[in-house]
Formats: sequence, C-alpha cells, structure tokens
Amino acid sequence: MEPLTVALILITIFIGLVLIKVPVSFALGLATVPIFLMHDRLTVTLLFTEMFRAYNSFLLLAVPFFLLAANLMNRAGITDRLMDFAKAIVGYLPGGLGHVNITVSMLFAGISGSSTADSAGIGAIMIPAMKKEGYDTSLAVTVTACSSVMGVIIPPSVLMIIWGGVMSVSIGGLFLAGVIPGLAIGLSMMATVYVYARRRNYPRYPLVGWTAFFGSAGSALLALLTPLIIVGGISGGIFTPTEASVVAVLYSLLLGGLVYRKLDLKALREVFYESARFSAIALFAVGTASAFAFLLAFFKVPEAIVGQLSALDLGFVGTGMIVAASFLLIGMFIDAIPAIIILGTVLWPVAEAAGYHPIHFAIIGVVALAFGLVTPPYGLCLLISCSLGNIRVVDTLRDLAVMLVPMLIVLLLIVLLPELILWLPRLFMPDFF
Amino acid sequence: MQYLIDRYFHLLQRLLTGLLVLLLLPVLIQVLSRFIPFIPRYIWTEEIARFAFIWIILIGSSVAVRDGSHFHVDVLPKLSEGCERLLHLLLLMFMLLLAIVFMVGGFQFAAFGATQSSEISALPMLTIYIAWPLAGISWSVFLIEKVYRHFSEQNTP
Repeated sequence: MEPLTVALILITIFIGLVLIKVPVSFALGLATVPIFLMHDRLTVTLLFTEMFRAYNSFLLLAVPFFLLAANLMNRAGITDRLMDFAKAIVGYLPGGLGHVNITVSMLFAGISGSSTADSAGIGAIMIPAMKKEGYDTSLAVTVTACSSVMGVIIPPSVLMIIWGGVMSVSIGGLFLAGVIPGLAIGLSMMATVYVYARRRNYPRYPLVGWTAFFGSAGSALLALLTPLIIVGGISGGIFTPTEASVVAVLYSLLLGGLVYRKLDLKALREVFYESARFSAIALFAVGTASAFAFLLAFFKVPEAIVGQLSALDLGFVGTGMIVAASFLLIGMFIDAIPAIIILGTVLWPVAEAAGYHPIHFAIIGVVALAFGLVTPPYGLCLLISCSLGNIRVVDTLRDLAVMLVPMLIVLLLIVLLPELILWLPRLFMPDFF
Repeated sequence: MQYLIDRYFHLLQRLLTGLLVLLLLPVLIQVLSRFIPFIPRYIWTEEIARFAFIWIILIGSSVAVRDGSHFHVDVLPKLSEGCERLLHLLLLMFMLLLAIVFMVGGFQFAAFGATQSSEISALPMLTIYIAWPLAGISWSVFLIEKVYRHFSEQNTP
C-alpha cells in the first residue's frame, strides 16, 4: 500500500469516529484495525505488541507518580500557602488577584508536572475568589485555564518526560529548556491582566510589609523546594526522571502527612484512586497512539511528508512555523500525549533536515501542545475551568482570544530564538549540549 | 444484574487504588536501595512495577468506560433528539467493536505470551498479557450495560 493511501485511511476513520464522540484513545485503536487486517504481512496481534512495547518503559512510570505527587500537594492545601506568598509578591499590582492566579500557577508548575492538576486545584480556589472581588467570570476562568498551561512547560513536566522517552531526548535538558519559555508565558499573561485591570478598574491589594512577606515565604518554603529537588536532581544526574517522580511522591507524602497534617487515610485512598484512574486514561491513549504511529512509520509516511516539505524549501523559520502550527492544530482536537507520539515522530525528520536542535524542536512542540490545553473544542484545562466557574465554553471565547495573542507571540519568539532556549541546558549540562 | 455490575465496578476501583500502591512500593525500594547501603538491591522490583503499571492502565481504561471519562471531543452542533440518540448508539457499537477486537485478538496475543516467561524473575508473561483480553471483557460488560440502558430509557418516557 502507498504511504499516502494508508495515511488517508487512518486519518479518515479516526476523524469520522471522533466526530461521533468516540473517545480519542478508542478512535486511534479502531483506525488501526482495518490496516492490520488488510495487509498480508501484519496481524491484529501487533496492536497489542505495540501497546505492550509502549508500556514496557521504565520512564513512563514517572507519569502516574508526578500526577500522584501533584494531587497529594493539592490535597495537602499547598495552594493556600502558595496563594498567600503570591499575594505578597504581586498582589499590589492593578488586578491583584489575576496576577496572584498566574503566579500561583507558575509556582505550582514547578511542583506538579501536569496542567490539569493545576487548573483543577487552583481554579477551585481562585475562580470563586476572583468572582467575589468583581472580576468577570469569563476572565477568571480564562486566566485560570491559560495560566495552568505553564504546568507542562515549567519543569517538571509529564509531556517532556513522554517526549524524552519517545524521541530519546535528554529529559534533564528539556526541563532546563522549559524554564525560560514558561516564565515568558507567565509574564505575557500578567501583561494582559494588567491591561484588563486598568480598563475595568479591578481592585489591588495594599503592599505588604517585609514581616508578612517573609512569613508567607516561610510557610510556602517547603513546597517551593520541590522544583529544586526534582529539576536539580535530574539535571545534576543524581537521579533518573522516574526516581525523581518517586522522590516527589515521598516528599509530598511527608509534607502533607507529617508537616501540614492534611492527609489522612481516607484522603490518601481518594487521591490514589483518582491519580491511578487519570493516569490510566492518559496512558491508555499512549498505547493506541503508539500502534497508530507504528503504522505511519511502517508505511513510511514521515519520509513521504519530508519529501513533500523539503520540495517547498521553507528554510529554518518557515519549518519552525509549520511545526508550531501543526502542533497547535492537532492540539485543538486530541490530547497532548498521543499528539506527541503521532506528530512528534512524523515531524522530527522534517525539523532535523532544517537544522533544528532536538531540544529546541521539543520545546516548540510542547509549548504549542500546551496551548492546545486551552483551545476548544478539546481543551482539557478550559473545560475543567469552565465547569468550576459554571460558565459555557462559548462565553469565554472572547477573553480567551485576547489572552492567547501574547502567548502566541511568545511561541513565535521561541521559534526565532533557539540560542535563548538552549542557553540554560548548555549552562548547567555543558557536557551534553 | 445491576447489582453484580456495580460490585464488579467497585472491585475494579479498589484494584486500581491497590495497584498504584503496588507500583509505588517496588520503585521506592529501588530508589532507596541506591542511596541507603543496607537495603539490598532487588531485581524483581522492576518486574512487579511493570506488572502493576500495565494492569493499572487496562483496569483504569475499563473503569473509565463505565463512568464515561475517556476524553472525547465535542465538535458537531446539537442535532435533534432522535439523531443524537442514534449517534450515541453508533458510538457504543464502535466501542464494542474495539472491545471485541481486544477480546479475540487479545486472547491470541496472551496465548502467544503463555509460552514465554520474563527474563528475570520467571514471572509468566501470561500474567501481564492476559490484561488485554480481560480489559476487552470488562469494556464489553460495561458497554452492553450502556446499550441496555439506552433502550430501556427510550421505553420509559
């Protein structure tokens, strides 16, 4: 069979199934079945072999553990402490609570590796608080959703772990490279909130004194040490990403159970169940997406695309734009994890031919896919935030579009400035890059 | 029948919670053994972790079939009541199709696995491979329940 025929069959079946609301992970699996049956050298057993191969990775174990750590921290009431600290840092700016929302997300992003834990945990507290202070509901929801995308850009990040595993890229390097784009996105959102606050006269908090500042910093200190332990540990070569994820679980158990004393047996059972269920849903999609990607590779679809694109002669920037646009587009419709497995492997040869560094390429992909978490129709963080704010997705679209503009400019800068992205990995891991 | 399915669902939920603990412990031991000298380095830890990991994914996928929390996309505009119901039935049928593929193909896959055992701890690979056809069975149970509800709701206005 021709590469493009196979690609067409796979994608048509997949889109058709998704349109009638078949879950994405099931649609990916179902799309592969006819090809496995039709081709005389393939059998359906390969679907399971490919799933098993994907799951048989020690690295993927980090996914449930980072989710578990984030949920434990949420349950232990870390958000309240981070909120007090954020208030002391940015509360006096116009639109204080909006900036607090973004700063808490930034701090929490350094603790958790998942954006959904971020929007669920922070949204539950921040959205009602913002509404109470007179912010429009749609703005409160959009700020919560958009700021939670930093969860997968600022390290640790579940997406980067999967990227590193699938594409064989250094995860320590990816983590370090995510710091600057993550902070830039946070600052760009704070600029938007500032403009909103000036126009709509949102309230600000009085400047706090040094005593209050150090008090709130002290109460959040133990939680704020988490990113140093995790990122420092991985980048410094002290432990592997999987080990770091277990250390994060252990640390959050100690913190929540012994120091903050918020975790009892019942809370633990609920958190374990929820984390296991949520990771299973995400990882099940990893399995079927791997079978889908296997077929694309088997029929040499990536090579065909490279051939088509290199004929266009796009150059470095043009290729980067195509990569970013493709990830943004696929991120609107499917979850980031299967998107990495399917599109990442297809586009890497294209980017490599255009002279991209694997880490630079990965950061473009991860940031674009992270934006996919807030873009409808399938934006998980937006859906979570909307349900927390009791508002329809349609009613948030205006504010969402405004928030996304500066974020997209940051994405463009990421494409244009590889040196800036690679600066931190080169600084801290000079042997590798 | 309803009662039995509920019990089965609760059993899967408990297994899910338990398996995450089972996944955490061996990896924890493995990490600690690297930093604390008196904890011996067990090699079976990786095997247990792999076993628990795969079972979590496939049991979790079954739990999510029943509570409808697999991610799906909502793009089509709202159609008439009748159309929506028809599409919903179609969706259940397609999911059931994959469940059947998992059962039939999964048993072939597991039968192949029955001849192997893992390199390290001689854990039969069947204990892992069997998770696929069993997931197919669990999905089928929950999907048939949904199809049944689909029709019984139609009869009670």
